[in-house]
Amino acid sequence: MADFMNLIRNENMKMFRRPRLFVMLGIIVGLVIVFSGVWFSVDKGESAMWEVVITETMFLYWIITIFAAIASASTVAEEFSSGTIKMLLIRPWSRSKILLSKYISSLLFALFFAVAFLASLMLVNWILFDLLGNGTVDRLSDVMGVSNIEYLFKYYGLLFLGTMMTVTISFMLSTVFRSSILAIATALFIEIVVNNFMQLLAFVKYKWIDYVLFVHLDLTKYVGGNEYNGMTLGFSLAVLGVYYVLFMVLTWYIFNKRDVAA
Amino acid sequence: MGQPIVRLQDVTKKIGSRTIIDKLTLDVPSGEVFGFLGPNGAGKTTTIRMMVGLMSITSGDILIDGHSISNQFEKAIRHVGAIVENPEMYKYMTGYQNLIHFARMIPGITSHRVREVVSLVGLDARIHDKVRTYSLGMRQRLGVAQAILHNPKLLILDEPTNGLDPAGIRELRDYLRKMAQQEGVAVFVSSHLLSEMELMCDRVAIIQNGRLIDVRTVQSTDKAVIARTLFEVDRPEAALEALAASELTGTIEGAGNIAVEGDKLFAAQVNELLVRSGIKVFGIRAEIKSLEDQFLEMTGGEGIG
Ligand SMILES: Nc1ncnc2c1ncn2[C@@H]1O[C@H](COP(=O)(O)OP(=O)(O)OP(=O)(O)O)[C@@H](O)[C@H]1O
Ligand SMILES: [Mg+2]
Repeated sequence: MADFMNLIRNENMKMFRRPRLFVMLGIIVGLVIVFSGVWFSVDKGESAMWEVVITETMFLYWIITIFAAIASASTVAEEFSSGTIKMLLIRPWSRSKILLSKYISSLLFALFFAVAFLASLMLVNWILFDLLGNGTVDRLSDVMGVSNIEYLFKYYGLLFLGTMMTVTISFMLSTVFRSSILAIATALFIEIVVNNFMQLLAFVKYKWIDYVLFVHLDLTKYVGGNEYNGMTLGFSLAVLGVYYVLFMVLTWYIFNKRDVAA
Repeated sequence: MGQPIVRLQDVTKKIGSRTIIDKLTLDVPSGEVFGFLGPNGAGKTTTIRMMVGLMSITSGDILIDGHSISNQFEKAIRHVGAIVENPEMYKYMTGYQNLIHFARMIPGITSHRVREVVSLVGLDARIHDKVRTYSLGMRQRLGVAQAILHNPKLLILDEPTNGLDPAGIRELRDYLRKMAQQEGVAVFVSSHLLSEMELMCDRVAIIQNGRLIDVRTVQSTDKAVIARTLFEVDRPEAALEALAASELTGTIEGAGNIAVEGDKLFAAQVNELLVRSGIKVFGIRAEIKSLEDQFLEMTGGEGIG
């Protein structure tokens, strides 16, 4: 087990010790500062910090999913394109375990960015609206009838489940096609479709629509309760679970079988 | 020479309907430097990929230290160090970080060992630079370093001298010989550099179009495996007749020369025969065939097949 931790350490080293990490962090923190700055200058710091945090999450969180998808798409595809895959696979480790270490490190990367995003949101908005402003106006709590902090964490959890699913899809595509571009493009496509068109599709009255993956990727519709438009959170999770197992089996099967001629 | 460390048994690789490797059978004992020689596209890299489990074996098996590479991969690969084609490294990390990365994958490699290997391949001065900034030869050295980190029993190197300078080639050759002789490591090297193989290998296998053509021992002292001798004579036709009378064959080479194939002793006997038959011998010249000549002869010197 301690040895397997070494594999994860290796993958983390390759994942995090890259200039792209700082670019991604810079983009996220920059966007939060700009967004909050504009908001602050418009309402003179009247809004409650939580309201701003939740609103910005709604608008900006998809970037986290894209960054996580990029990282997970490149972890396998890059080893193939650089040829290092053959250096990696000639060690006393089964291919399954090597792939698992990469998958775990992809999820850790996603988690790291989700946490970094939330932390920068809270910090920036706390400074602006709590310290500098007088943030008292809280429209959200009034509407939702729940405390903001509870709402925020539930919302974030549901978002992260969607991110995990997208990371898994992009991990699978990059393993199957050994191309990170394809995997990243698909992840982007999924984000756009899910965020913009799924609400429409949910109203189409065919039974099979209920089993389409895309319909369930955005779980935040359940933040207000376990039912939404005739579907329950449990049902969505079950559909996602079936797809998840399918994707994982396919990814591992292909990776184990493949002749490596990179 | 000890137990065979690696055994290839009827190894066949088919991709689609093409047979790339055809029933290859080889044994390499510990302590031997084994050369794997073949023209471009002969199947050297494909064989090596199967030996390290990167490619599946269509039929047959490869045993390393008694373990099948296909069924007991982790046990079989444990004692193998390899460079397959070019030594690809993580370019965005330093040479040292790359070595640490591979060292972590095998239990028991200390940081002391990593530093030891770094000086062995002569990379001390640049090891903390990013691999991106390395020259081809420096990458090759780093490749050798990652292959020997864990003191493998079998070292598989695919064209390791590619990109090395003469001093580097020499160091590598001396190092491989030393590993084989002193530590009993079996070294499996592929190369096109035939003269190179003669200098460092105990035995050489020659493959072409995926088939094993020959395995032969390299005589390191005179390197002459087959000699050809030219006799300058006054009457070449009569000389051939004299040879034929004793059931020997020769060929006419240019004006006034005949050539016979055989070792030194044989040449002396032919000379005696010619003189006895009244033929004047003006000169005798031994043509030593290097492994290179033999190789080109056997593979027909043809293009990529
Ligand atoms: N993935 C593949 N699919 C189809 N054919 C392949 C594949 N890999 C190699 N081959 C074919 O197998 C044959 C052997 O290739 P291999 O790379 O093993 O040769 P080699 O002896 O290493 O040559 P070189 O000296 O050029 O390195 C070649 O004819 C090549 O075209
Ligand atoms: Mg080759």
